[in-house]
Order: sequence, then structure tokens, then C-alpha cells
Amino acid sequence: MDSADDPPTSILAFLFQAEFASEEQQQKGFIDWEWLGENFTEDVVPALLQHIFLCAVSLAIALAISLPLGILAARYRGLYGPLTAITGFFYTIPSFAMFVFLLAIGFSVGVTPAIITLVLYSLLILIRNVVTGLDSVPPETKDAARGMGLTDRQILWRVEIPLALPVIVAGMRIAVVTVIGIAVIASYIGGGGLGNLIFSGITRNFPTLYVTGAVLATLLAISADLLFVRTERFLSPWTRARGAR
Amino acid sequence: MIEFKGVSKTYPGMDTPVVRDLSFTIEDGEICVLVGPSGCGKTTSMRMINRLIEPTEGEILIDGQDNTSMSGTQLRRKIGYAIQQTGLFPHRTIADNIGTVPGLLGWDKARISSRADELLDLVGLPPDQYRDRYPAELSGGQQQRVGVARALAADPPVMLMDEPFGAVDPITRDRLQNEFLHIQENIKKTIVFVTHDIDEGIKMGNKIAILKEGGILAQYDTPENILVNPASEFVQSFVGGDRVLKRLSLTRVGDVDLEPANGHGDALPRINAEWTLRDALSEIIGAGADRGLVVTDGESNGGPRGAITLDSIRKISHGARAPRG
Repeated sequence: MDSADDPPTSILAFLFQAEFASEEQQQKGFIDWEWLGENFTEDVVPALLQHIFLCAVSLAIALAISLPLGILAARYRGLYGPLTAITGFFYTIPSFAMFVFLLAIGFSVGVTPAIITLVLYSLLILIRNVVTGLDSVPPETKDAARGMGLTDRQILWRVEIPLALPVIVAGMRIAVVTVIGIAVIASYIGGGGLGNLIFSGITRNFPTLYVTGAVLATLLAISADLLFVRTERFLSPWTRARGAR
Repeated sequence: MIEFKGVSKTYPGMDTPVVRDLSFTIEDGEICVLVGPSGCGKTTSMRMINRLIEPTEGEILIDGQDNTSMSGTQLRRKIGYAIQQTGLFPHRTIADNIGTVPGLLGWDKARISSRADELLDLVGLPPDQYRDRYPAELSGGQQQRVGVARALAADPPVMLMDEPFGAVDPITRDRLQNEFLHIQENIKKTIVFVTHDIDEGIKMGNKIAILKEGGILAQYDTPENILVNPASEFVQSFVGGDRVLKRLSLTRVGDVDLEPANGHGDALPRINAEWTLRDALSEIIGAGADRGLVVTDGESNGGPRGAITLDSIRKISHGARAPRG
């Protein structure tokens, strides 16, 4: 199949198509190791780094929004219903449809709508886990803290957040894996990242490119998950002490 | 000294108060036990002292000072607080848990850590072994010891204890109670001790405040006087039909005049001088004897200190005031 005859499925795929057009002719076998070796630092690494950047920024923003909202919702129960309804609505929108909506309301193709989408997808998971985590703090622990003279703020930061941390991190693990997956699709609206490799590879019928993208996206999701497991263990050594005796 | 002056608490939306016009005074260095059936407002009364709950009416003075004269958090840092479920911070080590209030008060690290070790020693947990553990690694009884140590950390003159030995088995509870009474002999804190168990109240209290439903003070007196002269039918039924026996449990065998132990063989039951008269009575009756030989703890092979007879126990139970152990 000659990809040059296919209509471009996206602007970026089109761009990539032009860029890689010459190498394509030299393809040998299913995976062209030679191409991979020559273009690894030039094409693959930047795509991977951009993917990581996209996900990290989105997750950081999502956490910055979810933590205060989750804390408020845990305090003022009335907020929890509306919050989960709204973020739950975002969560149900198919990712492709979300991109289209964002473009429709005036965002131009690029990193911004990609990040907005990834943030919106993370909110439900993160807020729910922040609230669940805070709810899991034993009431007698909070009572003792108050009875010893900790202020509300000290109780929040020294008792409630640390104790809720394992549940919050569990939410971040789900969120990061989700975000890494959806970020692949975000390349359609100019988000960049590993999606660029995958989609241009498919468009040009160049397996080396899309297999590399897919494998890296998978490895990235697995390592991010492991990283969070490690971080949680490091931050909550006490959870391993449970029932140790 | 803690003074309740006409203290009432009514929760919003409720017709009847949970604590009604409570007035009594707790003397320095005494354990005052608040006891009563559930819903009598004993915990509410205790929590109004450190303003975890604000009274609707009346005032509470601590050493003559209104407890609203400083902020709630400042007040609470000066008052020890121990509760039934211990409320230990699961994410902090034992030493960090004990150091909570000293930390809030701005003590330096070295002082906090040496204080934690000192208190672990006091409650019978070797610091080397327990300092760096997490609460989940300790048994229920050990956790309650840490709870008490944490309440004592900043050496507060006043301590509030809400069923601090409630969540453990009876044998452990008995041991913890004895150890705490022993500690209290030295530290002489002013303690408000909440329990639903009148036996624990009689054992722990210098004074007992019996509350009845609706938060009304039914009687406030020493355990002896409450057992001998219950103020009302409610108090009488609350302390139970065995109040004569309960009274015997106030006195230790070693504190009564013993008879000489001459001429009796090995058949007689051995009575530990640390036991209460109630335990001694049970042991003597159980052995089918009319007297027991009193020995000192740890020296049961040595000679007996004397003999205690059923007769002498009966005399004490009939009002001859025995010294309190």
C-alpha cells in the first residue's frame, strides 16, 4: 500500500508522512532496526519525552484541583454529589468526542486542549480517592488530635492527609495509567507524544514506527504505575507495620 | 482544681439537655471518676473541660481560671487527653506519638526524645524495643499504655481519661489499672476519669460522680460513702446489690490488723497481702477454711505475716472503717 495515496487522517500524521517518506522506501522486514537505530534520539526520544511531559503536567494540574476540592467535599458533604456528577460526566465523554468539543468551542490544535482533556479525565478518579482517603481516617484519631490541641490545619496536614495518602496514591495510579493511554489519542489534536509515532506509522503502513510507539506507551504506563507504588511505600512506611505482630 | 459551676449542655434541635446544671469541684491531685449509664452525659461533661464541647450554660474553672480565657487549642495542650480507642497516630512511631504535645509546645528534639523514653519506661515499655515501632505493631494493652504516656507527655497538671483501659481484656485492664494507680501515687495529677463500669470507678476514684440519664448529678462522694450511704434508689441500684463486697474490694489485706499466725498448718489458703479483702474472702470460702495465712508478694516461701479470719472481714464489712489501700 502506498501511503501517499491515502487521505491524511490528521494534520500531524500528514506532516510526519512527509518527513519520513524517504526512509520508508528502505524498510526491511517487520521492524526496521536500522531505521530505529538511526532515528532513535531524533524522533523516538523526543516523542517519549513529550508524552511524559504531557502526562506529568496534566496529572499535576489535576492533583492541584482535586486535592482542595476533595478536602472541601470531605468537609462539606453536600459538595460531593454535584462534584462527582460533573466530573463523572467528563469521565463518560469518549476521548475523541472530548477533543472535538474542545476544538468546537474555539481551542486551536495543540498541547493546550490535550492537557485540558487529560485533566478532565483525571478529576473524577482523583477527587473520589481524596474523599475516600480522608473518610478512611479513624474518627478517634482525629478526636485525639483535637483533644491534644492540634489546630484544624495541623490535623489536616499532619494527620488526615498522611493517613489518606495510600488511597490518594492509589487514585493517582489509576489516573496516570488512564492519562498515558488517552494522551496517545491526543496526538490527533496536536498534543504530540507517542501517538505521533503510532498514528503516522499506521497511516504510512510502517510497523517500526507504530510498534515502537505502542511498546513505549505500554512500558511508560507500567513504569509510572511501579513508580507510584514505590513512592507510596516510601511515604507510608507505617502501612507495612499493620498486623506485623 | 476543677470547678463545674451550673454547667448545662443542650444540643441544638434537642428539647432536653444532655448535661443539666452540673456543679461540683475536683480537688488537686485526685482522681474524679464520672460514672453512669450510657446517655448520662459523662463523656460530654469531660469534653467540656477542654472545650471539645462548649457548654450552653455555666462555666468551668481550672485553678480558678475560666477555661474560656484562652483559645481551645492552647487550653487542650495544657490538659492530658487519653481515650478508649487510644487514637494513636498510626503513621507516627511510638516516640513521635508521645512527642506530639511537646512538639506543639515547641520543645527541642533532644528534650522530646528523652521525655518519650522516660515515659515509655514509666509505663513499662522498654524504650529500646518500642520507641521506633508503629502503633499497629503493638498489642491493645501496649497501645493503651502508649496512650497514657502520650497524655502525660508535657506533664500537664490535669488529665482527661475517657475509658482509657476500656478496650482490653479484663486481666490486662486490671494490670493497667494497678500500674496507673501506682504511677498516680507519684505524679499526683488531677484526673477526670470517665467509665461506665462502677467497679472500675470504685477502684480508680478518690471521688466518684454518679450521673443519671439527662445529665443529672445523682451523687458525688468518696467510693466508701457512696457504697455505705447511697443517696438515692438510683445510686443504690447502680452500684449493685453487692455493694458490701465492693466495699471489701477497697481495702487491701496488708492494710488491716492481722491475727498471729500461730499453730496452723499448711492446709490454710495463702493470701497475698496485696489482695483486696474481697479476694481474700473468696479464697478463704473457696478453700473451706475460716482463715487464711497472709504472705507478702514474692516471698511466699517465707513465713506468713499473720492470719486473716472470716470474722475480721465480717467486722470490717459492717462499718468499722478500714484504712484505704
